[in-house]
Amino acid sequence: MDQLSDDELDHAAEEDSDKEDQDLDKMFGAWLGELDKLTKSLDDGKPEKLRKAPLRQETNLANFSYRFSMYNINEALNQGDPVDLDALMADLCSIEQELSSIGKPNSGTSRLPPPGEAKLRQRPPAGHSVSGHGRPLASNFSLDDITAQLEQASLSMDEAAQQSSAGAVSDHEVRSLGRSPRSSINSASAGSMDSLDMEKPPRPPEVDGLQQPAPQLPSQDTIAVCLQEEQAAKLKAEKIRVALEKIKEAQVKKLVIRVHMSDESSKTMMVDERQTVRQVLDSLLDKSHCGYSPDWSLVETITELQMERIFEDHENLVENLLNWTRDSHNKLMFTERIEKYALFKNPQNYLLGRKETSEMADRNKEALLEECFCGSSVSVPEMEGVLWLKEDGKKSWKKRYFLLRASGIYYVPKGKAKASRDLVCFLQLDHVNVYHGQDYRSKYKAPTDYCLALKHPQIQKKSQYIKYLCCDDVRTLHQWVNGIRIAKYGKQLYMNYQEAMKRTEAAYDWSSLSSSSIKSGSSSSSLPESHSNHSTQSDSGVSDSTCSSHARSQSVVSSIFSEAWKRGTQMEESSKVRVSP
Amino acid sequence: MPVVKNDPQNRRHISDYNVRGKIVVVRLCLCLAEMKKDWSDHALWWEQKQQWLLRPAWTLDKCGIHADARLTFTPQHKPLRLGLPNGMTVRLRACFSGPTFRTVMGICKLLSMRHPEELSLLRPVEEKKKKKDKEAQEEVYDLTGVPLTSGADEMYRHAALCLSGSVPNLYNGMPAHFADSPQTEAVYKMLSISQPPPAPEVIAKMYRPASVVDKAHIHSRWLDSSRSLMQQGIQENDRLWLRFKYYTFHELEPKYDAVRLTQLYEQARWAILLEDIDCTEEEMMLFGALQYHINKVSQSEPQAMMSCPAMDDLDSALQSLEVKMEGESSSMDMLLTSPSISASRPKRLTLKGYKQYWFVFKDASISYFKSKEEGFGEPIQKMDLKGCEVAGDVNVAGQKFCIKLLIPSPEGMNEVYLRCENEQQYSRWMAACRLAAKGKSLADSSFSSEVKNIQAFLSMQHSNPGAASAQNDENINTHSLVSPRYHKKYKPKQLTPRILEAYQNVAQLSLTDAILRFLQIWQALPDFGVSFFVVRFKGSRKDEVLGIAPNRLIRIDLGVGDVVKTWRYNNMRQWNVNWDIRQVAIEFDGNVNIAFGCVTADCKIVHEYIGGYIFMSTRSREQSDTLNEELFHKLTGGHEAL
Repeated sequence: MDQLSDDELDHAAEEDSDKEDQDLDKMFGAWLGELDKLTKSLDDGKPEKLRKAPLRQETNLANFSYRFSMYNINEALNQGDPVDLDALMADLCSIEQELSSIGKPNSGTSRLPPPGEAKLRQRPPAGHSVSGHGRPLASNFSLDDITAQLEQASLSMDEAAQQSSAGAVSDHEVRSLGRSPRSSINSASAGSMDSLDMEKPPRPPEVDGLQQPAPQLPSQDTIAVCLQEEQAAKLKAEKIRVALEKIKEAQVKKLVIRVHMSDESSKTMMVDERQTVRQVLDSLLDKSHCGYSPDWSLVETITELQMERIFEDHENLVENLLNWTRDSHNKLMFTERIEKYALFKNPQNYLLGRKETSEMADRNKEALLEECFCGSSVSVPEMEGVLWLKEDGKKSWKKRYFLLRASGIYYVPKGKAKASRDLVCFLQLDHVNVYHGQDYRSKYKAPTDYCLALKHPQIQKKSQYIKYLCCDDVRTLHQWVNGIRIAKYGKQLYMNYQEAMKRTEAAYDWSSLSSSSIKSGSSSSSLPESHSNHSTQSDSGVSDSTCSSHARSQSVVSSIFSEAWKRGTQMEESSKVRVSP
Repeated sequence: MPVVKNDPQNRRHISDYNVRGKIVVVRLCLCLAEMKKDWSDHALWWEQKQQWLLRPAWTLDKCGIHADARLTFTPQHKPLRLGLPNGMTVRLRACFSGPTFRTVMGICKLLSMRHPEELSLLRPVEEKKKKKDKEAQEEVYDLTGVPLTSGADEMYRHAALCLSGSVPNLYNGMPAHFADSPQTEAVYKMLSISQPPPAPEVIAKMYRPASVVDKAHIHSRWLDSSRSLMQQGIQENDRLWLRFKYYTFHELEPKYDAVRLTQLYEQARWAILLEDIDCTEEEMMLFGALQYHINKVSQSEPQAMMSCPAMDDLDSALQSLEVKMEGESSSMDMLLTSPSISASRPKRLTLKGYKQYWFVFKDASISYFKSKEEGFGEPIQKMDLKGCEVAGDVNVAGQKFCIKLLIPSPEGMNEVYLRCENEQQYSRWMAACRLAAKGKSLADSSFSSEVKNIQAFLSMQHSNPGAASAQNDENINTHSLVSPRYHKKYKPKQLTPRILEAYQNVAQLSLTDAILRFLQIWQALPDFGVSFFVVRFKGSRKDEVLGIAPNRLIRIDLGVGDVVKTWRYNNMRQWNVNWDIRQVAIEFDGNVNIAFGCVTADCKIVHEYIGGYIFMSTRSREQSDTLNEELFHKLTGGHEAL
């Protein structure tokens, strides 16, 4: 199997697709072997390849992502863990199917050659002469090609549209849209194929999705000309929209990742670069059948630096993972973390800048959140106090008075009062993320174990550009970390939470169909996992805030205040009585 | 009894009328209004009691009028000189008979500003004699000619209409009543377009509150919303300030709020320039950069704000398709043209100083080579600029054009300095680096505008500080953008690179976005929206400061300036005023009671402030079309409530 050339591999894949159920493991092995070989050859043959396509090396990130994911797979295999091969297999199968569907037009039996092909052949020399460097441009190559196809497609669509009636149009739209998911996958895989295989001329997969229906359109000329023109315009708009989607999807990167579960096992799955952390979490939750709770998190652990961070739901997972180095020992964990949304469950402990934890009525919590996050600007909690700062490149920690503002973290210089004008900017938050430090007492001789670190996400090794802060107690630590999150992400954070709560609610609605016992108020009882794993911070807010929606909070605020003014006016009236003799 | 007819044309006719106490007010008015003239706006003002006789069906007896009463028959709407947040003065006809709250509604309607409840009138800070002469020459925009709908009902209806967010009928991109004449059009332009930055001398000359006590004194000037202007001693042609009083801005919507946004921006800008609100140096630089940008954009595209049709879906789709295709093809182009950019060879800093290399900028990365000839081979190093920090270090006079790059890598940040030979080259490379840091390629459509922005900014350094006071559109003294504290700390030349640095993060914003950004940063300042009053708490012997913020009350130590205690309205159970001893008492959850008397302002003002904020928070998104005037007066009016 290892001796197979790339083309042969395609054929093998094609054959396999006919008898899909057989030998999946074998095929998987072949795939891995092939990928491995390719990556090796890319590494080894670098200078040689460079002469052929030096630009590709620089620009093609897909290449990198495959190498990167290879590491994960190998690691998984080497460790001999019971890897969840089935899930991965499903993903690979879909790729394989795509490959075969690309392979078929290549053999050129029934279909016409795509009209764009002629252009395709001429394009590279054209680019050649423009660049004047004598280098074929692999990465642009396929995109040029796609755009050429699109132009072609649009022409034929226009023609078709002019003859078509309304009914035919909608029919056509449905069909072309219905097809788009498949062809988009095709295009994605075509992109990655190109990156792995230079010799093979890139295929334009969009062609069958867009062009095929065009000639089939029946012509029933019953509608006025103006209407037809309108239709044509609409059609064109629709087509352009579809085309745009495809252009975007053609460049989609995919990554095979290994996710560590809280019970020491791990799952391997494929993510594409458009997926947010929330989407990945959702699919993990679907697969792992664990109880739904908003606390499920993806946690990035940077082993070398002993720090970790919970990915925010709106973040892009692939983008973050690409910051890892190739030989990284970083881990991605799928686990429940109460601190992810503790901020929203007990906002009074984070937003009011108080020293002590306290209880608050739920409606007041909602009012507080509403006030903090739903105004025209997000108010950053007033965090200030003495923290320990690790001196650059030294082992010592020094005390400084820090303040958090929306524009960054500041400290009070020696001998000055804490007036805004005298503050010194310690750090602006645009480019850094906030991490929890682990066991810095022994690693960096920190005064306490409640440490946080601020660094650019790309930094993976010890560096003077990582800032370490140490708090006196765990409460201060959580307040600072959440304060920084609010300053950095603002309203987005609250939207993430609301989205997570919405899913939780939906999950409950669904489960209540099967077991009608769960009622809205008592949902905490159905959440045993969420409490068993975590010892700290009992969160009484979970159950109630689970069921509250944003819409409700609106009315709550106003009712609070209408109550307030009622009382106020009552008092005024009483005072009136007192005043007027 | 004597009745004074106040008629602007015919001077005053004083005549004695013999009337019986049984006569109703409306009959008296009709008697007075016998001449051929529109008297509909006139009403009777009872001078001794300082009150209007506005109930037409009441008899004079019922009003309590006796023979010695001196009544004035006078218009309810009189001209008023109104200082706007942007420092300009408008002369307009305002209602002198209704509660100030309603007067403000009328004014805001005239100026086409939504949510009049957030604004109020205050007496201006007394100016020195010397300045008075100057004031006479001050340009006054006149709006008195604009017909005012006098009926309160009409006003109500319109306010409701404005609030409902329904699109007001626009002519030439402005409300109909402004489109009448070139003069009124000019007024609208003044209202809706931000003013150019003031000269540094102007800022330095203006009154700046030096302490919390000074700030507290300003708040003693607010008019009472529940009483009329006449009742508060405001005379015809007096000067008042119109300001945003409550710092909770409900639903800022650029589409309907052109004037409101601009005036809000102006108020915020002056608050920062005059150090009314404290900020850090970094924040000040960003405010400066935004002011520069807003000024620049509003001068270059004054019409853009008025006619901003939301781009059609298809249009935007097509456009992005174009950009996409362009982008794909010109990534090759850039490869071709990049040697011409770097033809004059930027240099790189090493420890020994700068060393010349051949640089090629492509996509989002910089490669460098020993020489141009080797530019086709393997570069010495290739730096991916995505996510990097870009800063400039420029001194035009010294011909120093450096770009400082902080490029993240797994090992840490790499600091790289590029030195360019001239302004032209610098601005192109700087723009390219800025775009690359955001993950955009050179082919991005914003490249050329980025280059222009940088060049325009650099041109500020050309002027020497002496000549800088003579301003023109292109050339702004950077001292105009920051508060006087920084005038002392930095020279304009030193300030330029700092502001430029901040400017690069905002240079791509549209006018509206820039204004919104400015407001956002302003609102995010810790001291935002706090109005100070000097008070004396019950049981305390010294004066302290009470800060009233949109969501809380703050007790501040007058000497040290530290926050002693914060109470949130959310926890407030009730509040009341004892008008006899003029003491405000508030009860919070958990049996917390506070009481204080007011030192710098009348306790009515403090009471109204607190009640006003609670009123503001009762406004909901769904019912933004109704302004509950009655509720406002209930919450703020005290014993004089309607």
